[in-house]
Amino acid sequence: MRGIALKAILALAACAVLVVTLGNSSGSKASSTLIFAGAADPTYLDPALASDGETFRVTEQMYEGLVALKPGTTKVIPKLALKWKSANRGKTWTFWLRHGVKFHDGTPFNAAAVCANFNRWYNWSGAFQDPSATFYYQAIYGGFKHNEVSGLQPPLYRSCAAKGQYKAIVKLRKASGTFFPSLVIAPFAMQSPTAMRKYGADQGELRNGTFRATGSYAFEHPTGTGPFKFKSWTIGQKVEIVRNDKYWGQKAKLSRVIIQPISDSTARLQALQNHDVNAYDLAAPQDIPTLSGNSSLKVIKRPAFNVAYVTIHQGSGPMKELKVRQAVAYGLNRKGVVNQFYYGTGKVAQEFMPPSLYGYAKKVQTYAYNPTKAKQLLNSSSCHVPCHIDFWYPTAVSRPYMPDPVRNFQGFQASLENSGFSVTPHSAPWRPTYVAKVNEGSAGDLNLIGWTGDYADPDNFVGTFFNQTTANAQFGFSNASINSLLLKAKNEANFAKRVALYQKLNQQLMKYLPGVPYAHATPALGAEKRVHNLIATPVGGVWFQYATVG
Amino acid sequence: MLRYVVRRLLLLIPILFGLSILVFFWVRALPGSPISSILGERATPALIQQYKERYGLDEPIYKQYVKQLRAWSHADFGTSIATHRTITYEIKQRFPATVELAVAAMIFAISIGLPLGFFAAKKYGGLFDHASLFISLIGISIPVFFLAIILKYIFAVRLGWLPTVGRQSVLIETEHPTNFYILDAIITRDWAALWDAIRHLILPAIALGSIPLAIITRITRASVLDVQNEDYVRTARAKGLAPITVDQRHVLRNAMLPITTIIGLQVGLLLSGAVLTETVFAWPGIGSWLRDAIFNRDYPVIQGGILFVALIFVLVNLIVDISYAIINPRIRYS
Amino acid sequence: MSVAELEAREVGLEGPSSGLWSEAWRRLRHNPSAIVGFVMVGTFVFVALFAPLIATHDPLEQDLSLLNGGCCPGPSAEHWFGVDALGRDLFSRVVYGARYSLLIGVVSVAVGLSIGLLIGAIAGYAGGWVDSLLMRLMDIMLSIPGLLLAIGIVAALGPGLVQIMIAVGVTQIPIFARLLRGSILATKETDYILAARSVGIRGRVILSSHVIPNSISPVIVQGTLALATAIIDVAGLGFLGLGPQDPSTPEWGTMLTDTTRYLQTAPFLALIPGAAIVISVLGFNLIGDGLREALDPRFRGRA
Repeated sequence: MRGIALKAILALAACAVLVVTLGNSSGSKASSTLIFAGAADPTYLDPALASDGETFRVTEQMYEGLVALKPGTTKVIPKLALKWKSANRGKTWTFWLRHGVKFHDGTPFNAAAVCANFNRWYNWSGAFQDPSATFYYQAIYGGFKHNEVSGLQPPLYRSCAAKGQYKAIVKLRKASGTFFPSLVIAPFAMQSPTAMRKYGADQGELRNGTFRATGSYAFEHPTGTGPFKFKSWTIGQKVEIVRNDKYWGQKAKLSRVIIQPISDSTARLQALQNHDVNAYDLAAPQDIPTLSGNSSLKVIKRPAFNVAYVTIHQGSGPMKELKVRQAVAYGLNRKGVVNQFYYGTGKVAQEFMPPSLYGYAKKVQTYAYNPTKAKQLLNSSSCHVPCHIDFWYPTAVSRPYMPDPVRNFQGFQASLENSGFSVTPHSAPWRPTYVAKVNEGSAGDLNLIGWTGDYADPDNFVGTFFNQTTANAQFGFSNASINSLLLKAKNEANFAKRVALYQKLNQQLMKYLPGVPYAHATPALGAEKRVHNLIATPVGGVWFQYATVG
Repeated sequence: MLRYVVRRLLLLIPILFGLSILVFFWVRALPGSPISSILGERATPALIQQYKERYGLDEPIYKQYVKQLRAWSHADFGTSIATHRTITYEIKQRFPATVELAVAAMIFAISIGLPLGFFAAKKYGGLFDHASLFISLIGISIPVFFLAIILKYIFAVRLGWLPTVGRQSVLIETEHPTNFYILDAIITRDWAALWDAIRHLILPAIALGSIPLAIITRITRASVLDVQNEDYVRTARAKGLAPITVDQRHVLRNAMLPITTIIGLQVGLLLSGAVLTETVFAWPGIGSWLRDAIFNRDYPVIQGGILFVALIFVLVNLIVDISYAIINPRIRYS
Repeated sequence: MSVAELEAREVGLEGPSSGLWSEAWRRLRHNPSAIVGFVMVGTFVFVALFAPLIATHDPLEQDLSLLNGGCCPGPSAEHWFGVDALGRDLFSRVVYGARYSLLIGVVSVAVGLSIGLLIGAIAGYAGGWVDSLLMRLMDIMLSIPGLLLAIGIVAALGPGLVQIMIAVGVTQIPIFARLLRGSILATKETDYILAARSVGIRGRVILSSHVIPNSISPVIVQGTLALATAIIDVAGLGFLGLGPQDPSTPEWGTMLTDTTRYLQTAPFLALIPGAAIVISVLGFNLIGDGLREALDPRFRGRA
């Protein structure tokens, strides 16, 4: 018996030694492969059919649009279109295209291809008209050629004509200020019409209420013009893209990028600490000191492109009065909360959109924390001190603009109580109820919420918040002046005029106080120190084109 | 014998039926809707209403149940709202991962637990007995996710011997005909992939295996103690057979019987433990799938996934009961 | 019939005379593992009961100034277990956490035990279609693995301390139901019960004076083990984010949720509450195991 036990122990020890010595393969030497960890698997590699950041992170390496944002900024620069001009009060757009660009399958990029893409979106029918299929198209262009589903807007797009190889003319049914800025976003990238036709990009069905693409294009043959091209996708495990050596612009330095989904943020952190990955996205703010403190790791910051704000629901309560709203603004200790609970990644917000975006007003009414003034305002209003209010906050969540909602709430509650309010707290889990309650206006007089921009246009911020429907539902107000200004700015085709209009709107908003914006946060990525030139874009993407490892 | 099997199989029907009703109503009792989870701040009331219409959630509940039954009869178990892939597809991808993990965990538990229990019984009442009991009980006293985190921290993050997440290194290119990575590697004779798969399996298997370890140790110990005092063992010893032969030929063989039945009962604990272990190790199996689905309110996944897990569990128990009945005829007539 | 029921049968067959109890107690006293278990549980209960006297600080009080050097300062003279990510004293939080764990364990097991025993008694004694129906219901509940069932209940009820207690309690109902039913079935057929019935003693009397005393020992054993399982399951639910929603609650499982990210910089944040869970659960498991062995009639007459 003893003998057997001894042999077993020796065998186990031998195994352990084997594991240690033969183990650990991942790169500690310089390589031209970058392994990146995201939070989830892409849905489809056809960006026109997706709405999640995980998909866009991959497609933005393989596809390009007519225009793009300068990497890391919100400035629009030429990409596949070299020059553009709008005429007819913004209803006709002419694009002069770049010469000599080829799709990954060798077919040429030209005006015919551009029109093929626009017409493809416009002509979608059946299952493709479901919002679960084409969210962004519907958000910008409204409806399709033949609207088959109820609730679709009339279409914005009219037609596209190719004049020669390199001139495309797009006609819209009415003027739109959002059409041009939206061309930078991933869903509107130019895809190879040949490949789409060949591999059934427009084959899909509605199954159990959810859209499913059934062609192989979105899974095995995504074809764009970008600096990387598709190699393989093992669903749920990794996407692999390789350098496009025939790229028209600056060729990528990396030969290969592998993107791996790891849903838990701590697991992502540990994967980086263990050097199983070279970089990862969506670093939890609490991990930033850990990353900075590690001698082989670093933090890459995204420019802030979000806003956290306190909704003020006017409804039937005391908030209908401007004085009470002003008292709220003076009673929120925004600086204190941002300093304490944003782990160094936050900045106090003075307007409902980030400062880096055009349309940001240079001067607006500001409301520094002032409990005395707040009390004065309350006492001269119809809601004397203590003014009773209901304040909602979400639990079980951490948002990029609001990493710690519970503590934000606690900080605000304390400062409001100091300022003559009597706050009754309410909370609901983010999933599944909180957002719905906020959106429909049943989350008290005040609630915490925010927004990360999809694309670099003020309409994506203030337009989303204060359009007629949302203003009514979420904020409980209807203000003709704000509404008309919003619509005017949205449809103004002249860029300079648009900027001025949005600046005026922001000034009005900060006087009217439909809510109180309080923070812009800079979300972060974690990376190894030897990863260079990895650029994080404000709207949530990552650029691998210029990156190197080691 | 046949009558017993048939009787048990028939009993399966009301159980499955009851389960399907239970899960169906439970899923609809869950507060909130998936769209608000997936679209987050973008979920306007208009969109939520559209969704309700599309999924037929406005219809009376019995109509919805009938529709659901009809879908199930076509082997249509729904489509995941988050990933847009069918439940059947996801199960095909993820179930082998969980099975591989569970099997590895059982192998770990048996290879440690069996000898541990055997020697504890041999040295009954002694220090080794108490020590082995202690060790095996620690296994079920540590929350499995805590053990998983500690193992990961020590062996992966600190020592760097083993990987932190997943089933396979992203740098390995290999075919997966069966989706059981170890089997696949052997079939395709890809030895690097085999080694890589084993390395990824070690820590999660140990963490998960800590649960059955305790029970296997105790059951082995108990049954060895029982068998040792049986008459036929005493006879064998009296005959003059060497102790080792007595052990091998009589004690071990008969002590194994209760252990095989225990294995069936462990499946439930393994599936529960898998939810937590897979989350910590980002193991792409059924456990992490269900956990993510519950958090995202991905209704079709929750429904299809839980039904599937329950089905497996019931089937395994059925097989165990039937095999026990084959071994022990007294049971059939109860 | 399953192994659990067989085990229940074997343990419950002999009627408990005072001889069995005193002998069991004697065996328990000489079992070193059980003694260790008693010490562990004793400490746990003591700490839970006298938490306000033992804790050095208020578990909810935040002192953010301590975190100026980042998270988190380790054990010191002022804070024996260090300080957590919000500047709260970890020692006091762990001490108060014992209260939550004890409360959760006791309430969950009470829920599972009372409802389960009721169902089991009805099923075992009534027999026939009542028995079949109730046992099929138990089978359905048992066909979903424990943690998933608990997750499911919490998902429907919403997260929170009370909800997880109910959820964990519900998952234990079938175990107790089956246990008692098995005991009752086994006892019903013994000769002395048949004799009692033939003499004319009423069913209720038989139930209370014979059947129930016979079934107590496996229930006690199972109850102790169930307490251990309850504490672990609640920690698991807390870890998944389904526990008390107010993160200031010093519940051990919830305390573990966000601390794993600090393993490299402040490992004590996770290790100490984790160790607390392990010690208390291990204690209950040791006692339960010792009890099982002490009450097992097979070992009668052996040293």
